Amino acid sequence: MPRSAPARRRCLQTLRMLAVPILAATTAALGASPPHTATPAASGAGEWRMPSRDYGATRYSPLAQIDAQNAPRLHPLWSFSTGVLGGHEGQPLVVGNTMYVVTPWPNVLYAFDLTQEGYPLRFKYRPAVSPNAIGVACCDSVNRGAFFADGRIVYNLLDGHTVAVDAASGRQLWITQIADVASGETTTMAPLVVKDRVIVGASGGEFGIYGWIKALDLKTGAVVWTAHNLGPDADMLIRPDTFKPPYDRGTDLGARTWAGESWKNGGGPVWGSISYDPDLDLIYYGTGNASPYNPEQRAGDNKWTSSVLARRPEDGSLVWAYQFTPHDSWDYDATGPMILADLTVNGHEVKALVHFDKNGFAYTLDRATGRLLVAAPFANVTWAKSVDLATGRPILDPSKQTGASKGNVKGICPSLEGGVSPASPAAYSPRTHLFYTSINNLCMDYAASQAGYVKGTPYMGANTPYMAGPGGKMGGFIAWDAATGRKVWEDAESYPSWSGTLVTAGNVAFYGTLDGWFKSVDARTGKLLSKFKVGSGVVGNPMTFRGPDGKQYVAVYAGIGGDWFLLAGDYRSDDPADVRLPADFIKDLARRTSQGGMVWIFGL
Amino acid sequence: MLAQGLLMSKLSQSGACAISLAAVVLLASCAKGPDTTAAQAPSAPPAIRYASHIDAGGERPPGATFQDPKTGDPATIKAGETLFTAMNCDGCHGGGGSGWVGPSLADGRWRYGGSDAAVFTSIFYGRPKGMPAFGGKLGSDGVWTLVTYIKALPVAPDIATESWENH
Repeated sequence: MPRSAPARRRCLQTLRMLAVPILAATTAALGASPPHTATPAASGAGEWRMPSRDYGATRYSPLAQIDAQNAPRLHPLWSFSTGVLGGHEGQPLVVGNTMYVVTPWPNVLYAFDLTQEGYPLRFKYRPAVSPNAIGVACCDSVNRGAFFADGRIVYNLLDGHTVAVDAASGRQLWITQIADVASGETTTMAPLVVKDRVIVGASGGEFGIYGWIKALDLKTGAVVWTAHNLGPDADMLIRPDTFKPPYDRGTDLGARTWAGESWKNGGGPVWGSISYDPDLDLIYYGTGNASPYNPEQRAGDNKWTSSVLARRPEDGSLVWAYQFTPHDSWDYDATGPMILADLTVNGHEVKALVHFDKNGFAYTLDRATGRLLVAAPFANVTWAKSVDLATGRPILDPSKQTGASKGNVKGICPSLEGGVSPASPAAYSPRTHLFYTSINNLCMDYAASQAGYVKGTPYMGANTPYMAGPGGKMGGFIAWDAATGRKVWEDAESYPSWSGTLVTAGNVAFYGTLDGWFKSVDARTGKLLSKFKVGSGVVGNPMTFRGPDGKQYVAVYAGIGGDWFLLAGDYRSDDPADVRLPADFIKDLARRTSQGGMVWIFGL
Repeated sequence: MLAQGLLMSKLSQSGACAISLAAVVLLASCAKGPDTTAAQAPSAPPAIRYASHIDAGGERPPGATFQDPKTGDPATIKAGETLFTAMNCDGCHGGGGSGWVGPSLADGRWRYGGSDAAVFTSIFYGRPKGMPAFGGKLGSDGVWTLVTYIKALPVAPDIATESWENH
């Protein structure tokens, strides 16, 4: 789930850039707590205040002290054990002179004082969070990060709560229940704050939830609006004259494109990131798979699962929607980031939205209208031949259609882990005009079966063994030209690649590997510049900041998990009652990594 | 509504177990909810005795160690296999109980105890890391059927040692 693309209020941006050095100097001198601001979007060049750094989800930093020439000198300067073993997805924040880290369940928030040697804690916040959520989260007890706004750190607890914590004192300001664990809902995504709205969603595409997105009041935590991602227009906050999808017409599409009332347990979770265009005043997010995995129980397109939705943050109104994978039959969530970038496509300047989908295609859309401009495979794809730009629909290979009546359908690529995982956000550099993302080269067989809905239990109905894709290398890291739909370069990896991406003005791109290497490469060529073994597989997202000493640093989590909690085989050491054989397609990963959450900081 | 009568009759059918009356009363009472006299009594004994728990000495606290009345019964094992899928147990514990998000049920190792009574209790009342309580859905008959199936699963060789060297 990558995302990126800047779109900012220019005056504020300029103002902010002028203000930052003075502010940084002041706070450094005072050893002060993070500055309060009424402008959640504002972010100094040396800071990282929201999950993807900017509203466009670019994961691009303007810092350039570390560059392609000196990056080979990068080395670890500091590390910290989080004391938690779950998969460390997400990324730290840096606000002023404080670094914030949220762990997987039990969702501890650490605040490190960057002005003192060894970065001692300013505070540690330990919320009361139910362990029940661990078993209801489909794929490990992950958390994808926090958001800083108006002096608060806002994030989700796995058990269906959102909390706001005072960024200076660590005091809990409010806590709101947003999701129901007993119904299969958990909360792993990172919130997005727009003005005074906190936008949140829930996981549960494997539990037959009725997927939704909500807005909370930043000051009080009260729920302001709830919009479902499927179902009748009224539930979806589709209002007369505001909804203009580029390729579809009609009312109640979110219910009428489902057999019977199958939409009621139809999935459509929100577990990736959200982006925002202040000029168009639209938030963008992807929805997850349709439930259950056996598609024959839900004939029809199953709108708006596996889709991108554009809404007004103020009242939640749906403005447009585009479905990447109609009638998802392969668990192709579209919850990866929607990266906002201004590109030149076919000679025209376009306010674009770029998305790397689990289904293996990279999409470039007009983010004002949702119309498709470019769609091309970035990974090995067999389920579809191409995407028709006129209709927006994939041209399917009928032999790869799954269902309980079709038996075991072989050779589907990508696997349901995705050509890229939505948990591995891409980055965009306005300097190279290229996108950077981890990729997976896995295929699967898919044997669907009838699934029965039982509240709070998995609602799936498919057995889907994996195998390496063509060439045998199971992962990689690529640079992508989204204006033309072309891969520019690729670095192959032996294991599936599950980390997010960072790219900087120094033309350095950063990512980590499942077997525990943290790497930097030249953003123009892909040439390896540095690597260091961080102790556990990397499924988190690198970020960068400028410290109180004026130097640029790069931080990343180590701590294998997420789907690899399930797939890596016997890599645990903490539970003698859970011993299992290695996964047959990746027998030796457990030879190279074990669990363990660490925060690392690198510098020159 | 839980089938308390059934639970008690199954227990008494089993014959092989020594059950204190208080334990049975508590087990039945818990199923009714928190308002029963037995559940409120601070001195109520535990319903299940866990062989794996250490003992602080003195007189052993009363506790049941009842057994599955249908152990090894082929028809019940078959019915349990069907139920294991129908209740989506396989969604968390994997096909054949081989382990997924939830722990393996076929590795011979148990997080909450592997006695018939402990496995029954895990399914009937649930466990704190997200294992739902199926007692209300299945009643004691259904839960015993699952116990029969799970306890009949072939136990995989213990892989206490995993080696990547060639020998």
